[in-house]
Amino acid sequence: MRFFRTVLMMLALVAVLAAPAQAQGKSATVSWPQEPDTLSPLYTSMTFGGYTYQLYLAGAWAFDNALSPIPVLVSEMPNLDNGGINADGTVFTLMLKEGLTWSDGDALDSADFLFTYDMIMADGNAVGSRSPYDRMVSVEAPDATTVVITFSEPYAPWLSLFSTVLPEHVLRPIYDADGSLDTSDFNRNPTVSSGPYVFETWEVGSFMRFQANPSYVLGQPIIDTLVVTFVPDEVAYVAGLLNGDSDLGTFVAFSDVPALEEAGLKVEVIPSGYNEGWYLNTSAERAHPAMTDVRVRQAVAMSFDRDAFNTDLNYGATFTPHSFWENTPYANPNLSPYAFDQTAAGALLDEAGWVDSNSDGTRDKDGVELVLRFATNTRGIRVDLQAIAQQQLAAVGIGTELVNYPSDQFFAGYAEGGPVSTGDYDIAELSTAPAAFPDPDTSRFLCSEIPSDENPVGNNSTYYCDPELDALLIEQSVTTDFEARIALFHDIDAKLLDAAIWIGIWHDADVWITGTNLVNAKLNGVNPFWDVQNWDVAG
Amino acid sequence: MARYIIRRLLQSIPLLFIISFVLFALMQATGDPLATMGGRQPTRAADRERLSRQLGLDQPITTQYLYWLIGNDWVVIDPETGRTGPRRGVLRGDFGTSYVSRQPVLEMIGGRIPDTLLLTGTAEVLILAVSLAVGIFSAVRKYSLFDQLFTAISFVLYSVPVFIMAYSLIYLLSIGLRRAGLPYFPTSGIFDPAIGRTFEQVVWHMVLPVLTLSLISIAGYSRYIRSTMLEVINSDYIRTARSKGITERRTLFVHAFKNAALPLITLVGLDLPFLLGGAVVTETIFAWPGMGYLFINSLTRSDYPVLMGILMLIAVGVVLAQLLVDVLYTVLDPRIRYS
Repeated sequence: MRFFRTVLMMLALVAVLAAPAQAQGKSATVSWPQEPDTLSPLYTSMTFGGYTYQLYLAGAWAFDNALSPIPVLVSEMPNLDNGGINADGTVFTLMLKEGLTWSDGDALDSADFLFTYDMIMADGNAVGSRSPYDRMVSVEAPDATTVVITFSEPYAPWLSLFSTVLPEHVLRPIYDADGSLDTSDFNRNPTVSSGPYVFETWEVGSFMRFQANPSYVLGQPIIDTLVVTFVPDEVAYVAGLLNGDSDLGTFVAFSDVPALEEAGLKVEVIPSGYNEGWYLNTSAERAHPAMTDVRVRQAVAMSFDRDAFNTDLNYGATFTPHSFWENTPYANPNLSPYAFDQTAAGALLDEAGWVDSNSDGTRDKDGVELVLRFATNTRGIRVDLQAIAQQQLAAVGIGTELVNYPSDQFFAGYAEGGPVSTGDYDIAELSTAPAAFPDPDTSRFLCSEIPSDENPVGNNSTYYCDPELDALLIEQSVTTDFEARIALFHDIDAKLLDAAIWIGIWHDADVWITGTNLVNAKLNGVNPFWDVQNWDVAG
Repeated sequence: MARYIIRRLLQSIPLLFIISFVLFALMQATGDPLATMGGRQPTRAADRERLSRQLGLDQPITTQYLYWLIGNDWVVIDPETGRTGPRRGVLRGDFGTSYVSRQPVLEMIGGRIPDTLLLTGTAEVLILAVSLAVGIFSAVRKYSLFDQLFTAISFVLYSVPVFIMAYSLIYLLSIGLRRAGLPYFPTSGIFDPAIGRTFEQVVWHMVLPVLTLSLISIAGYSRYIRSTMLEVINSDYIRTARSKGITERRTLFVHAFKNAALPLITLVGLDLPFLLGGAVVTETIFAWPGMGYLFINSLTRSDYPVLMGILMLIAVGVVLAQLLVDVLYTVLDPRIRYS
């Protein structure tokens, strides 16, 4: 008994001594469910790496909470009128603001943009992706405040360019000495900043700390210290938000939303370009023969009650999208998702010749049973959905073989035998977004992107080829006029819906949680820190 | 004894080579490290091809193993410039760099070992101390109220999975205490960034993860110690010791416990190398920056160099720990001698 009393007293003493001290200046804490792999935009392949480096590296522009571009390092957004975009959309001229500096006082100018391009393309750097810089013909800096980017053909997704710029004066000597920036200490300990905050420290496995940058081009942040903590476990993550240990978090499950709202936290569902969907395989060689018939694909879409699923298992926190570009101007507002109508689905299957001739409960045709291979990864909500969908499809006479893969196998490429890439599925469920969101450009439905032994790098895993759709997709990629491009995407949307090769399951927006201590935090799914300089803390 | 130790060490060298090759081959089954390098988008095919070449993943597995072992600084990897590879190999102390963070593997692992040993070492000390106390007391007071109560508690605790234990402690001692307006235990990290890494902060943050690791093991170990003590305290020589007038305390702790501890040494010896490997589930739940947390992150990204570094460290630890246990046996039991 004495022993336990002693232990309790010691813990109480530690509790008093461990109590938080009064922080110097204003401070806020952001929690990520994953620790970034690196702070370098060249090497990070993580969403949270991408969010975090925005704290210390500014880009040419950012996106506001309506996903409209706003100038940051450029003096104004390039367009046809100011000569920032030439008539055929192949040359982009960025006019930088005068007097830009890094946090150490060194000038931030066009040479840094040129250096950034050089480092992305340098063979000594094993960067995660060279897109879209490998499509550029040249990047030139005629003077300190002008950057001229030339493409060989019109490039519509130009808003994805130069989202960050590297400091040449710091990194050039390192590259010249080592021949690579791969192992540079700057990747984990950046010494200069152009963004709203200056990096201070990274306690590996625990947190990073940033201090306000007084020379930030959009103004010194109100919050002096920003701490980014890493909490990989979902339960501990939500507990931290509920306890007020962190002021901002994201990527919580929809199932946690009610508890967070009940605790008085602000919950926002913010588009990130992602939509969860079923890709339906139309390949005559690789898919079930029924999948080449659009009536069968439409019947599949109508057989599963997606609205009920989103209400019950996604807690009503999201909805069923009709468009691959849901919640953007590029989604056709006049379209609706396929309604849940098993009677109409059955009629379509009857019309297509799929009937239950042997009374085994599953439709068949020419001796072939209508059993579809439904593949996804092992994520819990997807496994649950598969079970429900199997029952509902069975009610219409569609059998399903459910297959689950670990993520790295599911998303593996054609050469590695990935099931999606090789078309080894009839229905594949995954969440996807346009590659350069908020730009809508995608190559997923192009005929030229159908994978094969001759073209293992193809991206069109539905194996669907429609020359009219193809022409629209190609035309949009070279259309730099905003309104004209929207019109093209509305046509593309209509064709995709009719073809029933992509069926929206839920709008996979990100759930962001803001604590009561943090005020004036405006967020978006691309640049969550676009307005961080104006965030404040209560009290 | 010295010759025995040297012989065991020499025997472990080929064993470690075999282990390293088997582990390296098994790495290929963990997944494709390039699959997630595109971030939330699948890796572009052009980037995949380039990265495969730059990271040496386009080589046959036997070549990759050879480069891992002896390096590739003797191989020209760019015929145009004559540039040789950057790696010196494991045998020259270079475990390579992480595919994910591009950090040297030894630096990554070295940075995690102290915090891992802090957590698992503290938990192990607590497990042994409490298990010994409870196990010996239960054996001496066999079938008493304490013994029966603790037997029941042990069976319950031993049945609880680690993650359930962790979540229960979070809800009781963090969320629950906070809702009651009391000081609450933190659920993540090793210290509060606003305060810094002080002794008090680390202790406060260690409470929940150490309890998670300890409670289940205490339940198991205390039962084991009770069982071995019961075997010994009913022996003839213990009865002789008591009849000679030796105090009960000396009888138990000098004569009985010394013999009962022999099997326990084996158990602890098996645990020792895994102190280095960390507690994967506990560290992940409590965001404790240790080896277990690093291991699970590396596994999900198929970061082969880091995984190999950690696994080889554990393999070496197992070999050395077993040797240590065998040597300790000779200290505790004079009947055991190695030639």
